[in-house]
Amino acid sequence: MSAINEADIHSFVDAISIYFQQITREKAEIRAAYLVEGDILPTTFELTGYITVTGSFSGKVYFSASRGMVSHLLLMMHDTDHSEPRLLDAVGEIANTISGNARKHFGESMEISVPTTQTTGHGWLDKVVSPHSYVVLIKWKQYRASVVVDIQSNI
Amino acid sequence: MKLLIVDDSVIIQSRIARILDSPRLNFIQIAGTAQNGLEALGVFRQCMPELVTMDITMPKMDGVDCTEKMININPDCNILVVSALSDKATALKTLKKGARGFLYKPFSEKELIDAFLELTS
Repeated sequence: MSAINEADIHSFVDAISIYFQQITREKAEIRAAYLVEGDILPTTFELTGYITVTGSFSGKVYFSASRGMVSHLLLMMHDTDHSEPRLLDAVGEIANTISGNARKHFGESMEISVPTTQTTGHGWLDKVVSPHSYVVLIKWKQYRASVVVDIQSNI
Repeated sequence: MKLLIVDDSVIIQSRIARILDSPRLNFIQIAGTAQNGLEALGVFRQCMPELVTMDITMPKMDGVDCTEKMININPDCNILVVSALSDKATALKTLKKGARGFLYKPFSEKELIDAFLELTS
């Protein structure tokens, strides 16, 4: 097993940028990208969607956002149903889309699962992600979200 | 023209349905929706659509297998794969199984309308 590199992380950052640009016609600001280490932990928001990666890579990719951000994203898609199942569907779809787009960089030997979603309390990501996962903090309008890339190469 | 929307995300199903309200696509009517490949095959046999939008990553049966099975049932069906898997190999794989087009997520309204028009022209 080996750690992923900067170019790998860039593929996720690019996928995040493309997602927000395409859906909202506005750029999301990438506020920080850092490694989970010691006291430096990821930020968990209220709703989290994640996919499991298998094949030539293994691990998980998480997208965590506030209800406010997800509701606003749904509005941008002219979706007026902001019920809890719908918001969870949205974070799962975003995790899936970002990971699927990043696969262009990794190749088809990186397999991606269907998304899993859940409501998440403060600190949830701290307990589930591995040390040395990468965190990408996003700001869009007044909202914040995080993408955590917790994958390793099996090659 | 009857359309079957296959995607495990209800948000994507709704988004496609809303874009179909465009006057340029008024010749397309939604005949059914499904959230996985297995369910999609059942709906497909019932409503025999001429047009299908097909996600790839889905539970129970993925879009690649589902495309192959639908084409075996009706080789003339127009299947548009709508997926976040943006590597060329995946697109080629579904085209080999009989899909007629591939649209990457996230897609804009214009991209989906253009894809439908191209597929049905």
